[in-house]
Amino acid sequence: MVFSESDERIALRSAVFELGRKYGHEYMRRQVRSGGKTNELWDEAGKLGYLGVNVPEEFGGGGGGIGDLAAVCEELSAAGCGLLLMVVSPAICSTIIARYGTGEQKRQWLPGFAQGTTRMAFGITEPDAGSNAHKITTTARRDGDGWLLSGRKVFISGVDEADAVMIVGRIRDEHSREGRLKPALFIVPTNAEGFTYQEIEMDIASPDKQFLLFLDDVSLPADALVGSEDAALLQLFAGLNPERIMAASFAIGTGRYALDKAVEYAKTRTVWKEPIGAHQGIAHPLADAKISLELAKVMTQKAAALYDAGDDMGAGEAANMAKYAAAEASIKAVDVAVQTHGGNGLASEYGLGSLIAASRISRIAPVSREMILNFVAQNSLGLPKSY
Amino acid sequence: MPNIVVLVKQVPDTYSERKLAESDHTLDRDSADAVLDEINERAVEEALLLKEAQGGEVTVVSVGPDRATDAIRKALSMGADKAVHVSDEALRGSDVLQTAKVLAAAVGKVEGYDLVIAGNEASDGQAGAVPAILAELLGVPQLTHARKVELDGTTLKVERESEEGITRLEASLPAVVSVGEKINEPRYPSFKGIMAAKKKPVETLTVADLGIDAGEVGLGNAWTSVLEAAPKPPRTAGQRVTDEGDGGSKVAEYLVAQKLI
Ligand SMILES: Cc1cc2nc3c(=O)[nH]c(=O)nc-3n(C[C@H](O)[C@H](O)[C@H](O)COP(=O)(O)OP(=O)(O)OC[C@H]3O[C@@H](n4cnc5c(N)ncnc54)[C@H](O)[C@@H]3O)c2cc1C
Repeated sequence: MVFSESDERIALRSAVFELGRKYGHEYMRRQVRSGGKTNELWDEAGKLGYLGVNVPEEFGGGGGGIGDLAAVCEELSAAGCGLLLMVVSPAICSTIIARYGTGEQKRQWLPGFAQGTTRMAFGITEPDAGSNAHKITTTARRDGDGWLLSGRKVFISGVDEADAVMIVGRIRDEHSREGRLKPALFIVPTNAEGFTYQEIEMDIASPDKQFLLFLDDVSLPADALVGSEDAALLQLFAGLNPERIMAASFAIGTGRYALDKAVEYAKTRTVWKEPIGAHQGIAHPLADAKISLELAKVMTQKAAALYDAGDDMGAGEAANMAKYAAAEASIKAVDVAVQTHGGNGLASEYGLGSLIAASRISRIAPVSREMILNFVAQNSLGLPKSY
Repeated sequence: MPNIVVLVKQVPDTYSERKLAESDHTLDRDSADAVLDEINERAVEEALLLKEAQGGEVTVVSVGPDRATDAIRKALSMGADKAVHVSDEALRGSDVLQTAKVLAAAVGKVEGYDLVIAGNEASDGQAGAVPAILAELLGVPQLTHARKVELDGTTLKVERESEEGITRLEASLPAVVSVGEKINEPRYPSFKGIMAAKKKPVETLTVADLGIDAGEVGLGNAWTSVLEAAPKPPRTAGQRVTDEGDGGSKVAEYLVAQKLI
């Protein structure tokens, strides 16, 4: 068993962190205040191939794995400028298309993912189907050769910045006599007729926003359906492990950012004789947060390694555990960092107060803490189910 | 098509706390993260720009301990083609004269070099003398402190920036150029560059391989060494001026009192 990353992975981390350091948290704050997006950083990272590390080389990508993409995500977060849309566009959408898309879909979309010039949002959550994806009602009817897609989605990130949204909907199962529905994934251009969206006001200071989507008989060509009609569940599983691994990496990066700030502050701020970091009341929570972050990171690396080795099942358990551990570690690190800073912890100048809300995202999305505990209780421990 | 050599050095990250070892006042390399010196990134960038415009080859030369390979890999991941790494226990604590001598021998290993590009001063030692000494040892012109480099065939033109002003220099190849902060903005290594770097050739040499006697180099034989060192006193809190309409003149008063204006 190897517990160190390859030289290339380490070099990638330091290159990405350096790029992130050029932008930093100050860039994000500026963009939030001016209503700007993260285009400058996104485009620069894209040109350097950092957003397409996991896209196959034949489509202009880096030919690496989800472990490489997760490293990019974590390092940008750790530099104070995490890119939320990395969790959806290159991780979920690009992976699903690379693994299950038709030849034509791969040719159409993957080169853009490779360079970061294409952005695709991902819409699964619905107002009446959050944690329970079985209740999804967005449905596509056959219409000649194509489809008519209708439904509503909620909390979908980055729609205003995306070329298209990958929508999880349902279609009639031709094999079922009772006319049962089965899941299906569609690529919906954001300028399609009948597709509208509305920003949801959120108490999170992020340039990337969440949206309510309305799909009103959106007319789609036959090839808007991702891959083959019967592969939707496989497609979802292919996309959701990377999503969890990326959410974990984003959270770990945020935690590292907060912890670094706190350690720096604890080394210099002196109110008695010694810097406050000498007081165990300050030092131990910082050490505790460090341990939690490292544990979460190891589990995230394990999940990515299993996924990249082709073990989707093994990766599933590890990715869920990693996402859980990372969210909790990140929230703890931010909490400790704020406390270490005293009043400055809530002063805008230090940029930590807004992380209190932001760090909570990973406890809720893409899958909540409770649903992960359900998963572990049932799948890892074999306990009975209440729902 | 120029055959370019770039000198690179691994230094402690300026973002971390840098220290000298207590025992002999040489650099404490374990106390800080080691990185490719930023000024060397600019030197590499300038070489790559020349290569992209005119073709040729870029060879990185570094003198430093084994772990300096990380700095070399960084230069290779930016796009340099190959490297020569001189690593030898005997070199520990070498001064600028010894280092330049080793570098001159290492540059000599690069067949038919046209141009040597260096940073004008490393962020750790800050002697800023190596490029000039090296040019003397190689017997070629030195065009130091460049903020702009132009190569036309075998004619090299450089704008040197110093406190006195701008000087325009011209020389024929082969030559040594040292670049300053303003020369360019170094690129970040691309993912493909990082993946390719591992496969690029790095020749590792000892001082003996260069025909230099180990007794000529290292701290024990250095012309200069650090006798004493003390950390910089911490910055004091400073004086806060509240602007009540007279902020400008208060700042001016302060600067006058400090004899700064
Ligand atoms: C910032 C942000 C960005 C997002 N981006 C996207 C996106 O791009 N695309 C997308 O599709 N979605 C996105 N989401 C939605 C996110 O995935 C959902 O909010 C999440 O899955 C939870 O669903 P819900 O909000 O409907 O909560 P609900 O399902 O209503 O759950 C409410 C609470 O009940 C708990 N709960 C529910 N069922 C159980 C159970 N059986 N046992 C125990 N507890 C239970 C939950 O854990 C939660 O605490 C985003 C959300 C946020 C906050």
